[in-house]
Amino acid sequence: MFGLRLAKRESPIPGGQLLAFSLGLLVALILGAILLLAAGHSPIEIYAEMADASFGSPTAWSATLTQAVPLGLAGLAVAVAGSMGLWNIGAEGQIIAGAIAGSWVARLGPDLPGPLLITLMLVGAVVGGGLLALGPALARAHLGVNEIITTLMLNEVALRLVRYLVNGPWQDPTSVGFPVAPELPEQSGLPTLFERADISVLIAGAVLILFGFYAARSKWGFELRIAGSSENTAEYVGISLKRKIVTVLVMSGAIAGLVGGLRLGASDRIVEGVAEGWGFAGIIVAALALMRPSGVAAVAVAFGALRVGGVAIRGQGVPASIAEIIQALVLIGALGAAVFTTYRLVGSGNSERGDDAGLSTSELAS
Amino acid sequence: MIIAGIFGDIGVLLSDTGMWSNLIEFGIVLFLAALGEVIAEKSGVLNLGVEGMMAVGAMTGFWAGIETGSPWAAAVIAAVAVGLFAMIHGVVSVVIGADQVVSGLALTILGLGLAAFLGTGLVIQSAGANFSNLSLGPLSDIPGLGPTLFSMDGMGWVALLLGAITWFVLKRTRAGLNLRAVGESAATADAAGTAVVATRLVAVGIGGAFAGLAGSYLTLKVTPSWNESIVGGLGWIAVALVIFGAWKPGRVLIGALLFGGLIAVGPRFQTRRCNSGETADCITTEINPIVVSMLPYLLTIAVLILLSIRSRNRPSLAPAAIGRAYRREER
Repeated sequence: MFGLRLAKRESPIPGGQLLAFSLGLLVALILGAILLLAAGHSPIEIYAEMADASFGSPTAWSATLTQAVPLGLAGLAVAVAGSMGLWNIGAEGQIIAGAIAGSWVARLGPDLPGPLLITLMLVGAVVGGGLLALGPALARAHLGVNEIITTLMLNEVALRLVRYLVNGPWQDPTSVGFPVAPELPEQSGLPTLFERADISVLIAGAVLILFGFYAARSKWGFELRIAGSSENTAEYVGISLKRKIVTVLVMSGAIAGLVGGLRLGASDRIVEGVAEGWGFAGIIVAALALMRPSGVAAVAVAFGALRVGGVAIRGQGVPASIAEIIQALVLIGALGAAVFTTYRLVGSGNSERGDDAGLSTSELAS
Repeated sequence: MIIAGIFGDIGVLLSDTGMWSNLIEFGIVLFLAALGEVIAEKSGVLNLGVEGMMAVGAMTGFWAGIETGSPWAAAVIAAVAVGLFAMIHGVVSVVIGADQVVSGLALTILGLGLAAFLGTGLVIQSAGANFSNLSLGPLSDIPGLGPTLFSMDGMGWVALLLGAITWFVLKRTRAGLNLRAVGESAATADAAGTAVVATRLVAVGIGGAFAGLAGSYLTLKVTPSWNESIVGGLGWIAVALVIFGAWKPGRVLIGALLFGGLIAVGPRFQTRRCNSGETADCITTEINPIVVSMLPYLLTIAVLILLSIRSRNRPSLAPAAIGRAYRREER
């Protein structure tokens, strides 16, 4: 019977991931257009407006980069763990932990000068995020407890912790019963870089570049990749896997915590929704970037633009959730497309290589 | 004095039928969703899309309730819709073989986004259909169980039936054996002639349908209205429950009732209860409901740690092939 099947390529297509990402984006935009049409909007007009709002002017660029900062850092957090084969699904919670720790620092020293206060807040946020990752890290390293589930569960715990704080101990006494924390000291706001973007763009860029070089060039990064590809090899060459797991997961949490600190610097108080789904979006970013820092930066800018566009079209009555839908569809489309960069379709009559290899589509259908 | 007060308070709590029916309602939601995840995970597919699938189920069920006026028709429509929706994860992670964690999370994000997008117009609507409690005659008059277990609605009984069927099929039938074999060692099952990909796709689809039922029960019974944050972490609890219940339907049911109980009790801890008109007779408990709502997640982490300590010298309870895609040429 004639059928098609997938056979593994001898080596992946060069630039395959970029191709897969582009295909994923294309699929997502087409499916998004169908959704928009069904909701009674003109997809071309909506997409044009989204593109204009995110890339059309310096102001638009500043908004896009502002959104790209948390996406890029959360993506880097996930990628750091991912390059060793670990999954940090808890970036969402670690962002919250970072924001909690950052605002705790601000509460302790409300009269400190701006630069000092901002530095301390960011350090606090890094420590807070790292601390939330420490438990899963130790449990994974020493007891073999699956870090996917523990980090996932701590997201919900952190969310409830911030909810508890703004509803109770940290509630603003002047808020007449509203569950909000008091405003942060005025000098804790991050200085503006250009238009709407603050210096968090520089901080995130520096962290990404530094980490990219460090991971690529240092012994530490080399060991990380070995540990990620084969635990046995790592043990054999004398890399302590336990220590590596703990440091990598805590570092991952710390980077996510920094996002929480930077978000505080961009707003006037800590709110329950401080993480806004950045942590989960970071997983998409890291997966699309194949855990590489340079890829993380590129995907973060693309998704930052999507988010800015998503907010801009609210005025047209299009729910901003279209941005989330497109992000998820890009990932799903890219995951689907990636298979063709490592596999290829061949007719089952074509027997240049072993016929038993690969799945036949007739088999899939059965 | 204080101890007497706390005991008095627990007495008031236990006689609160609203608490009991909330326990059962949340228990049903969690049990259905976790049962679906058990089926998927037993076949070797981790699906972290439960939260998003439940959101799609809740939105679809609510919409179908308005359109059809029948809670049963609405629940079935939601189950079918989410079963199909789950196929995205099936195709991406099982057929194509992409990472199950990434694919499942993408399903959650897509599901939450789609439900919010498509349900925009439903937020202001009121429910078109509702499950009503079934009275079992004299059984419903038994103190304690009567107003709670023997007064629950039809979906409660359907959930128990589905639990029993799932247990029976997984444990006692050829199909169940095949499904478990695929989840333990796909290559061995393949060599024995089981269609690995098809089995996993069916398991993911059924798992999705159960999540759809769970989600629709939220909008057709628990909170008869729709908003985009209605699932609010229940899907993650369902994922946790599978581990908590060691992939066994019976234990998952116990866990669902326990976690459902925590959700039901939470908001009732802080209320001021007065046994008489006298102020001196009032008890104000200090346990914060938000803190109580953290417990399911913390308990799951504790169970995971205990399980891993326990299983150091014993085989793990988790399906051995979970999280691993299967490609015949790579065996």
